[in-house]
Amino acid sequence: MESEIRARTGAPAPSGQSGLPENGRAVVARRALLAGGAALAGAAIAGAPRLTDAAQPSQADLNALNLLLLVEYTENAFYAEALRRGRLRGEVREYARTVAEQEKEHLEFLRSALGGRAEDEPRFEFGEKAADPQAFATAAGDLEDLSVAAYNGQGTNVSPETLAAAAKIVSVEARHAAWIRSVVGQPPAPEATDTPRSEDQVLEGLQRAGLRR
Amino acid sequence: MSGVDDLSFDRLDADGAIAESAERAGVVSRATFLGGALGGSLALLAAGSGQAWAQGGPSERDVAILNYAIILEYLQASFYTEAQRMKALRGRAADAAEVVGAVERAHVEAFKDVLGKQAAKRPSFDFQGTTEDQNAFLKTAVAFEDLAVAAYKGQAPRIQGSSALAAALAIHSVEARHAAWMRYLFGVQPASRAFDEPRSRQQTLRVVNSTNFITSSPSTQGRRTPRYTG
Repeated sequence: MESEIRARTGAPAPSGQSGLPENGRAVVARRALLAGGAALAGAAIAGAPRLTDAAQPSQADLNALNLLLLVEYTENAFYAEALRRGRLRGEVREYARTVAEQEKEHLEFLRSALGGRAEDEPRFEFGEKAADPQAFATAAGDLEDLSVAAYNGQGTNVSPETLAAAAKIVSVEARHAAWIRSVVGQPPAPEATDTPRSEDQVLEGLQRAGLRR
Repeated sequence: MSGVDDLSFDRLDADGAIAESAERAGVVSRATFLGGALGGSLALLAAGSGQAWAQGGPSERDVAILNYAIILEYLQASFYTEAQRMKALRGRAADAAEVVGAVERAHVEAFKDVLGKQAAKRPSFDFQGTTEDQNAFLKTAVAFEDLAVAAYKGQAPRIQGSSALAAALAIHSVEARHAAWMRYLFGVQPASRAFDEPRSRQQTLRVVNSTNFITSSPSTQGRRTPRYTG
């Protein structure tokens, strides 16, 4: 299953996308940046920047962005389900509401940046983790940690322009992790550094969190 | 975390103060802390000084970036250390200052290790009373941590060496955790927007200078008095 995912995220671009200018990486990333800065602060806008409009991004950038998209799909689905199931209260609910909105913006940003290259949303089964408040808080902290590790792990694989865009998101993920841990009295920042995780490690973590496909 | 190497840890934490204070704060076991400090990219950064950078060391641009980062880390480490010494903090704020201070000191030591003789010297600081009062402390801590996040974010895309980049990213997100933690303790929203914006070196130094916290700057030549651009 993991290798299937890897094969999918690592798949070559559709043939219809080839033959685009060579300077694609920079263009892609500049567009991604623009999207992150202004357009995506609100909702997805018709004609929002897309990586595939004018140029072909590097395969490394596409792989990284699609892995991060999978992380954002997972976070979005998790918070949406937890809010729908309605058992969160007080500070935990306030956290979930706020963070759900921010994760939605991250998802829109990545989808827009990837355009036609974006992977489809997978299925999830979160079980009790999306219902019981204590289980939710622990799972949310773990998922946000995984997200930080995924972004940090891809940071050294991508172009500087894509890195600049991703860096605007990773620190917000780290804030989420520390926030929910503060709420439930767990250590918000127990380590001197956040260890990066590889694609395989991230996929394994997402499956533990509830990714099914 | 496996692969814990006590020798390397000793270099990062010669007197054991980091692990000890984290443990004393009841936040984390010594083993966990060791794993974090060593398994993470600080070890990678330190290793880079002897291996990955054996041929010529970090580039000139990376040295400049790391020296800029070490000034921010000096500033934070000194701030938390002084706040602890003043004993003006209570409860969870005191615990947080202890843990975060230990981590910021570890960051300083890691950068010193990599930079060796090229490392900027620690400036002198005057925190203008903000380490003597819990409310002023938390407010300042929030500002410092948010600033550090923005500063690292501004530099990351400019870093040339991959071990320096990995280390900067691994520290960047920890600063964001600190920012959220301090915000929570201060009573403001830990994550107030979906995207964190970067700050350039110039913007960052302007903010630092406006605080008047740096009273001498041994690493800069010909400008011994800080500019007060408040």
